Amino acid sequence: MSREEIFSKVQDIFRDIFDEDDLVIEDTTSSDDLEDWDSLNHINLVSAIEKEFKIRFALGELQSLKDVGAMIDLMVKKLS
Amino acid sequence: MNTYTLSDIKEGLTESFEVTITEDMMEKFLSISADTNPLHVDANYAKERGFKDRVVYGLLTSSFYSTLAGVYLPGKYCILQGADIQFSKPVFIGDTLHVSGKVHYINEAYKQLEIKATITNQDNKKISKATIKTGLLDD
Repeated sequence: MSREEIFSKVQDIFRDIFDEDDLVIEDTTSSDDLEDWDSLNHINLVSAIEKEFKIRFALGELQSLKDVGAMIDLMVKKLS
Repeated sequence: MNTYTLSDIKEGLTESFEVTITEDMMEKFLSISADTNPLHVDANYAKERGFKDRVVYGLLTSSFYSTLAGVYLPGKYCILQGADIQFSKPVFIGDTLHVSGKVHYINEAYKQLEIKATITNQDNKKISKATIKTGLLDD
């Protein structure tokens, strides 16, 4: 799966979690950019991504992520 | 009360219990919620609209999803984070409900469980289903 395909699916997950059909995310999007990106929605995002892509994250991996781009890069590595 | 911790829990783990709806429960729910809708408090109104008796509050029956998570699965260390509930059939006073939940998914990094739950009545008809999300507090 290409990085673009992963990004597109992750964007759909963001739209579903945040209930915004026209939400557009970028590599630089972080929790500072989305008001509803609180700790609980963060857990919901991770769970949705794990289920959609059938991957698992360790807490240490997640704590070092600073934005969406870093998350996508980690997913590319896990899915390759 | 069950005391499941993350290491005890595997996907597929199931817990269930039964409860019978009483008039007293309806009165207490009315007192707490102040939901005076006639479908719940006026038997004649309910019968005129095709129900056999006044209808039990959907959120009264759904309160047993709270019990399922907080007492049975995972029990003591539960911290409820969300519940998405869909109703499919009415419940009446005197009905005996079977409340059941199965661990569908475990987010190990953040210690969150996703539980698929159902409530069925004494005729084995599903009256509601729910997806429950709960965290696990440290023991």
